[in-house]
Amino acid sequence: MENTVSHALYILEEPVQYICLSIMALLYIIKIRTLLKKPFPPEKAELKGDRTAGAIQSLFNVLRPWSMESTRNSMYFYAEFLIFHIAVALTIGSTFFIPLIPHLMTPAVTSVIMVFMGLAFLIGLRRIYRRFTVPEIKIISTPDDYFAIILMTTFFGVGFITMYLWMSGSPDTGWMWVFFLMTTFFLLYVPFSKISHYVLYPFGRVNFGMVFGGRGVLNKNAK
Amino acid sequence: MADSAQEKETQEQEKRQFEKLGTQEDRKWPVKTEFTPDMLAKMEELLPSRLNRIVATSLAGCIHCGMCSDACHYSVSIPEDKTLVPAYKADRFRKWYKYRFDWIAQVFPSFVGAKPLTRELAEEMYDKLWGGCTMCRRCTFNCPMGVDYGMMVRAARSIMQAVGRLPQHLQDTVDTHYNYGNNMAVEQEEFVETIEWIEEELQSEDGCENFKIPVDKKGAKYFLTLNPREPKYYPLTIQASAKVLNAAGVDFTISSRYWDLTNYALFNGNDPDAKKFSMWQAEDVKRLGCEYLLAGECGHGYRALRWELPNWLGGVDFKITSMMELMARLVQEGRIKCDKSVWAGKRFTYHDSCNIARSGGITEEPRIIIRAAADDFAEMEHNRDESFCCGGGGGALAMPEFTPRRIAAGKIKADEIRATGANVVLQSCHNCTDQLKEIIEHYHIKAKVMNLAELLAPALILE
Repeated sequence: MENTVSHALYILEEPVQYICLSIMALLYIIKIRTLLKKPFPPEKAELKGDRTAGAIQSLFNVLRPWSMESTRNSMYFYAEFLIFHIAVALTIGSTFFIPLIPHLMTPAVTSVIMVFMGLAFLIGLRRIYRRFTVPEIKIISTPDDYFAIILMTTFFGVGFITMYLWMSGSPDTGWMWVFFLMTTFFLLYVPFSKISHYVLYPFGRVNFGMVFGGRGVLNKNAK
Repeated sequence: MADSAQEKETQEQEKRQFEKLGTQEDRKWPVKTEFTPDMLAKMEELLPSRLNRIVATSLAGCIHCGMCSDACHYSVSIPEDKTLVPAYKADRFRKWYKYRFDWIAQVFPSFVGAKPLTRELAEEMYDKLWGGCTMCRRCTFNCPMGVDYGMMVRAARSIMQAVGRLPQHLQDTVDTHYNYGNNMAVEQEEFVETIEWIEEELQSEDGCENFKIPVDKKGAKYFLTLNPREPKYYPLTIQASAKVLNAAGVDFTISSRYWDLTNYALFNGNDPDAKKFSMWQAEDVKRLGCEYLLAGECGHGYRALRWELPNWLGGVDFKITSMMELMARLVQEGRIKCDKSVWAGKRFTYHDSCNIARSGGITEEPRIIIRAAADDFAEMEHNRDESFCCGGGGGALAMPEFTPRRIAAGKIKADEIRATGANVVLQSCHNCTDQLKEIIEHYHIKAKVMNLAELLAPALILE
């Protein structure tokens, strides 16, 4: 599709995004460096398993819902999680595809992205309801938790409408402005919020895999 | 003739010369009943030193998804108290961490749930992280982010312990170990006499006339360690272990000095003490020139020896194994054979101690042992590394102020035991033994509790 937009929207879609993206990357580098500077607990015991294999298995735990009781017993919850996070990747991705490689956004691709955005929007609504009503979740929730899920859900909703208009041949709309303004806000806000958990995820999983892989608790088949 | 008599007398004297074990000067760690401003200031100072990469990631990485709520024996057994959800408990520590280190908390602390370390928050930490968590790591294994609650809670405990705010009885246990070389203040003479008496009892069993329990035998292959509850209250478990080892022809010894495998500093978070207890034992293994340090059936003791001791000491030049692993190997090698008819009519189940299974990697060995000695074995619904904590871990049995909560938290385990229809609950941990006995009685289950050596010993076919 053609990406014919006003100069102002072009500024928002490209230079502003690049600046915000650079800030985000810098903040992540600081975050990662801070963690890496902390000592990893030594392991001097004779190992019963493979720490590296454990770390790899643990890292890809996200694709093995049967490995944890908490996901095994709630596959519906896991499916929601998977769709939601795929939608995040696609939505963020589309903010780059639209200005940079608009020809990639064929009707078929755009439709797929819209489906995920739509589903993620509905899942987001359910997660908001859950956070407000399930006592176990409510008691551990902070304003950041509510804000993050409301923000993401809104982003998916706006993204869905924006994509629809994009597909209908109206790229320069108020919705597109809102979509990219939200993206700009995201890039600046996410490093400070819980949404940046994907940066911590590899650390948590690798730490877990190293410890319990070495002890032979994980990766039993490899022993 | 005279020389011979003198030599004999000298030997007798040597035999009677028992030494003071533990540290030379007794210590009584000052335990406080409430947090004071000075203590809070000291805790602020200590916090950064306790943040290794795993603890820091675990403090920063919780996304409050709530997946841990069904994983914890406290929150499952006591569902009406939502403050026992693991994320909530850990947040008592996390709030303080965020207040110090989270970026957004520096501007809007309440937005991310950050709080300064006040007396109220510290008391909540005390309540939830001493009395509401056994560091069993079941939530860790069910956390999508890999948050290590066990290590995180131990870090918080170590800070509180350093300023003297911890359950008195738990610290007393550590102090006793520090002062006497074992956590029940068993004097060396009393211990040696107990072992000699157990040996006599063992030798009075049919077919065991020549069985020995060697004390301080230099060059023995295995240095068998014990839980102090055994010489003190459960001597029959030592007898059972010795019978199994003798029947298989295992070359082992028990030290008259540092035979205590427990290390309650694992629970109170005091690393210098943990290191000291480990060092005593490591030096004793070297004194006797043993090839293996052999952990008896004890959950945290096994983990402390097998997985933590080498780290506390920066590595060791002997091997470390456990009775569970050794007995399973003896079965597999055909060095011990059992007559299963001894246990006819009994149904067994096995409780996996958290420190042995989840934190230790021993899950199949107990089952190899059980299958060798018994026909009727029923697994609990959650077993191996998915087993629920019985509620007695993390030093919980040394915190009488939290006893009602500990018993209530054992309900899920009691329910699972009942569902198996077993009349014998097997386990390999003394803290589990005591907790299981209590919950079995409390929840009116008709079952007895035994360890694995006690299962094998009566069924052994002695040649």
